[in-house]
Amino acid sequence: MWKNSSLRCLLALAILCLRSSVHSQEIGSLGHPQNLKCVTHNLHKMICTWDVSPRRKHGQTDFCYAANDLPTPVCFKTKEKRVEIPVPHSSSTVTITTNSISGTALATKEFKIHKKDILFIPVAPRVLSLTPDFSTSTLNLKWSDNGSVFPDGLDAVWQIQILRKETVEKVTQVTYHSKLTHEDIILSWNWTSDIPLECASHYVKIRCYINVTQFVGLKEWSDWSPVEVILGKDTDPSESGVFPLDTVVAVGSDVTFCCIHEEGQNITNMSYGSKPYPMIQLSSRSHAIRVLNASASDSSGTNVVCRLNNGMMEGTVLFVGYAPDIPQNLSCETPNFQIIKCSWKPGRPSGLYGKRRTMYSLFERMSGKNVSCEVNEMNRQHVCGFPVLPDQKTYDFILGVSNPIGQAESSLLVDITQRVHPKTPEKLTVSENNSTSIHLHWFINGSFAEIRLLCQIEITSGHSEQKLHNVSMPGGKSSAYTAHLNALHPYTKYQFRVRCSAADHFWRWSDWSRVEEYTTSEAPPARGPDIWRERSSSGESLKIFWKPLPLSEANGRITSHEVSCYLLETPLEHKVVTEPTNSTEIKLGKNDCVISVVAKNQAGSSPPSRITSMELPSDNIITGQAMAMGNGINVSWDSYPNMTCGYVVKWCRSSGSEPCSVDWQKFPSNTTNAVIKSALFKPGVRYNFSVYGCKSTGYQLLKNITGYMKELPPKSAPNFTVEETSSDSILVRWEDIPIEECRGFLKGYLLSFAKGEKDALKPRLSESGNPELKVNNITNLTQKSMKILDLQGKTSYQLELQAYTAGGLSPPNSLYVVTKEDSVGLIIAILIPVAVVVLLGVVASIFCYRKREWIKETFYPEIPNPENSKALQFQRNICEGNKTLKTLEMNPCTPNSVEVVETQSAAPKIEDTEMMSPAADTTVPEDGSDSEMENHVVVSYCPPIIEEEISNPPTDEPGGSSQVVYIDIQSMYQPQIKSEEEPEIDVVTTAGYKPQMQLSVNAMNTESRSPVEEELDKTAGYRPQANTNAWNMDTPDSPGSVESNNENASFGSPCSINSRQFLLPPRDDEDSPKPINIGWSFTHFFQNKPND
Amino acid sequence: MLNVTGDLPGDSWGIFTFLCAALCNLPALPALNCSEELGAGQSIQQTYDLTRYLEHQLRTLAGTYLNYLGPPFNEPDFNPPRLARAERVPSATVDLDLWRGLTDNARLAANYRAYSRLLCYLRVLDGQVGTAELRHRLAHFCASLQGLVLSIGGVMSSLGYPLPAGPAGPPAGPPGAPPAPNDFLKKMDDFWLLKELQTWLWRSAKDFNRLKKKVPPAVVTLRLEARGF
Repeated sequence: MWKNSSLRCLLALAILCLRSSVHSQEIGSLGHPQNLKCVTHNLHKMICTWDVSPRRKHGQTDFCYAANDLPTPVCFKTKEKRVEIPVPHSSSTVTITTNSISGTALATKEFKIHKKDILFIPVAPRVLSLTPDFSTSTLNLKWSDNGSVFPDGLDAVWQIQILRKETVEKVTQVTYHSKLTHEDIILSWNWTSDIPLECASHYVKIRCYINVTQFVGLKEWSDWSPVEVILGKDTDPSESGVFPLDTVVAVGSDVTFCCIHEEGQNITNMSYGSKPYPMIQLSSRSHAIRVLNASASDSSGTNVVCRLNNGMMEGTVLFVGYAPDIPQNLSCETPNFQIIKCSWKPGRPSGLYGKRRTMYSLFERMSGKNVSCEVNEMNRQHVCGFPVLPDQKTYDFILGVSNPIGQAESSLLVDITQRVHPKTPEKLTVSENNSTSIHLHWFINGSFAEIRLLCQIEITSGHSEQKLHNVSMPGGKSSAYTAHLNALHPYTKYQFRVRCSAADHFWRWSDWSRVEEYTTSEAPPARGPDIWRERSSSGESLKIFWKPLPLSEANGRITSHEVSCYLLETPLEHKVVTEPTNSTEIKLGKNDCVISVVAKNQAGSSPPSRITSMELPSDNIITGQAMAMGNGINVSWDSYPNMTCGYVVKWCRSSGSEPCSVDWQKFPSNTTNAVIKSALFKPGVRYNFSVYGCKSTGYQLLKNITGYMKELPPKSAPNFTVEETSSDSILVRWEDIPIEECRGFLKGYLLSFAKGEKDALKPRLSESGNPELKVNNITNLTQKSMKILDLQGKTSYQLELQAYTAGGLSPPNSLYVVTKEDSVGLIIAILIPVAVVVLLGVVASIFCYRKREWIKETFYPEIPNPENSKALQFQRNICEGNKTLKTLEMNPCTPNSVEVVETQSAAPKIEDTEMMSPAADTTVPEDGSDSEMENHVVVSYCPPIIEEEISNPPTDEPGGSSQVVYIDIQSMYQPQIKSEEEPEIDVVTTAGYKPQMQLSVNAMNTESRSPVEEELDKTAGYRPQANTNAWNMDTPDSPGSVESNNENASFGSPCSINSRQFLLPPRDDEDSPKPINIGWSFTHFFQNKPND
Repeated sequence: MLNVTGDLPGDSWGIFTFLCAALCNLPALPALNCSEELGAGQSIQQTYDLTRYLEHQLRTLAGTYLNYLGPPFNEPDFNPPRLARAERVPSATVDLDLWRGLTDNARLAANYRAYSRLLCYLRVLDGQVGTAELRHRLAHFCASLQGLVLSIGGVMSSLGYPLPAGPAGPPAGPPGAPPAPNDFLKKMDDFWLLKELQTWLWRSAKDFNRLKKKVPPAVVTLRLEARGF
């Protein structure tokens, strides 16, 4: 062994020498270990690695390490350049000796390893599982935290990377934190992909970092775990379709769909609903669209369709809806202690149907029992039943609601003994006790043995108001219940119905049972009938009347009345009167007796009603009037203290000539007035009432009263005649109106009269409004005639007579009367004027004679020169242009000239009658050859204010048409060109103030005209142009506009009557919207503005 | 029935015909000897009328149903390729010459089989629809179609043809074929079902019209008498 080793040593030495001679620079580092690195994965052991340079084959390495906590260094040999040694507490010294293959030590190096130099890298995590959930596009990753090798309570950080598609693009990287518990824990993490997992392959890898705080060395992330993959459908050559399949999402979600097709095909388009969407390429076989904020889908879902270029089509359906609403108004009650019915309002519809619809389940926490509910989606109120459990009163319900999008719940703690809502009572029947009491029976399905029931019976009858009767009774198990009802009325049809609830803890009434009708049996009438008697006019017989008993007192159907007559307990007569007669007559002679009337029905007889036939004598019977009051008649009487048993008011129901059908009413002694009401009373009919007082011995008539329920106007007027007529008076006489026609208490008469001829068409006097109408009001009803005075003789008068009541006036009766002639008056009327005239003539003659000299001096002077006549002077001055009579001038008058320029044309124009001289007349040629001459005619006139500049461009117009331009007011609306065919009219019309001139003169006779006539013509020219029709001429503007109306007012009236100024503003002004234009109105019309 | 008259005014003749045909054939079919009571010509006429009425009824039903399926099924130009799985619905797209070449018996038997099968699918459809109103209309159409199946059976027996083997009454469900794996394919099936129904009804109307001309009532009576001997 040794030999071998020495040989080897020698050989090695030889080689060493050889090498050293060749690579002298490497000799110093031959076989030297270097770059010692120590890494720990679990903090207990560390793996130290080192390099040896140069890299050449060498033998085993001696590795020794020593630490403070080790008593002796630990040495061992290794062939590798890697050892696993414990992690030292603080530091350790490592000696590495490299040996040659022969075993000689080549180099030895000592390393000092401090704890801070040690690197801590956890072991790469190992993925336990990666599970896809395609329906929710969720990946579930499971791995072990390997915590058993680490101390408790360390923080671990996990980094998970998701990669996608064939190109392995990083989609996301998340960090997951956990705590190590010194145990191997399986950690789980879910990730939901934004694109369906079918659409592309998804890759997952994970690494970790453990934050060992007590470790002072370097800490690093672990290596990534091996990549786990979930392959997309696009990797499977046989797969195609649109994904995700039949998913349900909430409204507002963003959803990605992908279409996977076979290799070599192309997608034409992809649409969601009816809308195409832009595509995103995921791979050569997979394209996606992204739908944002999806809205609720239709009941069959929203279709997503992918069309391929070969005509094929793939698709899927997406259901978009809402998570279920929290059930509202959850309420539970029991109808029968067998089942609990819980109802609620579902709230917002989920928009999902069929197998995706909202499901309900009722969970009872105390018993742990769960019931699934079949509800009808169509009903707004949802109901679910839960069985009543034995020996459980309190129930803690949780109503769970779920659909594919979400779930909700609502809870309710309920004591069912306090939530009893019994079912509708059934089989309601009635059994009779007697005519006023019955038993009512009914049945309620349900076992109410534990509670008391409160039932309400509704009693309805024809003649009393509805009554509610409450009965409390112990509950039973599906049993019948009975209630006793008394104080009912005999012979009455009743309607009963019942409802019930819990008595102790009222919750809800049941529905009303069906109505049960029952008629109680008859009983004897409660009292005798109301009776009255009257003796016949002969006094031989007595008529007895009674009133039918009201239903409430008859207690059955009255079959007959028994009438008896007793004289001191001795029956004189007995009669049975069957229904429906309500009176009878007894022959009594002059006797008196006590009459007794008994009403009978099938059950028996009423107590008797008694009345004596005795009528006490009475005197001084007064007749009063009754007041109408509402729909009755107010009857009043004095108080009679000796009337001990009250009063009776008796009247005839009928009126007038009909036989009296007696009615009466009884009143107690303290009454002195009563309003008698009867449906038979008619307005306008007089009723007679008799008031009787009742004494123990008999009845005494106290007062007669007449009255009307309502007074009406008399039906007709009184007939009247003229008794006597004179020249100034008429005596009229009239008759009474029959009572039936009065229809009220007569208040008086109205006699009206006025002058008037007999004329059938004439209205009534009272309606004619004749101012001479006189009316006499006659209030004294006894007066039957009247004399009308102060009338005119021989005049026709119309007379009218009307009667009146509180209800109004009757129709009138008319008469025409002519008064007699008054001859004396007529004579006087002729004579007096004649005498006056004669007298005046005589006086005048005397006066003239006496003053004849003065008259001659004044009126007929010696030389009768007309020029000296002042009266004539006055007239002349007017003609001479206001030279002398200044007072007649309205304005300072400056004579002015108007130059009338005429271009001579074919027809001559005579411009102004006033200015036309005979010489000018001669110049008018017949043929108009002198057309080139301008003929100036000056029209002299006196404009009060305006001085117009004369500017006349006569040559503007071509020959053949003559134009006369009047520089005057008229020119504004003058026809520009006058035709030659109307010379005469033209002469007139062109004369300045034409329109008026036409009326007066024939202008051609100028020579024969006197200056006065010319003056008249002139004045005719100033005739007011007040022709309003002309002012309102053609205005096609809108008639509604005020402004246009104002314009219209000025448009047709080119000049003012007085001022002759232009009333039409220039066109320019009209165009410019100046306010002054609006003000153009009639006020402007009469203004002479100096600046105009 | 009232609902239909409300929805489709002017359909009273169709309803009347349907009622007549259904009522006449219901008691006749189990016995298969209604020919004595009702002439074949009359029976064919009634079947023809019922077919026309069903055609009309289907037009409105299909409109409503396709709207329920949503776009693109309710688009007028929607014409999807017929998927292989849709072949389970009996197709009426047999070559016309080939169809005409068949005997009356074979054609009637094909009609009978097709409607029996289509009816089964229609019944499944009815149970799955989300809205109550549409369910009601589908149920009504099913009843009408049931009447047509019975009516065709009546015509066949009146002409002396044996009824084809298979369920004459309403079977429980679509025979054989698995349900559609997803909602879209199910909608596609529904679409094809309606389309096939339409084509079948159109072709049946033609068939019955031709048969009507071919078999006047008198001839049938004679033939039946001859059969009696």
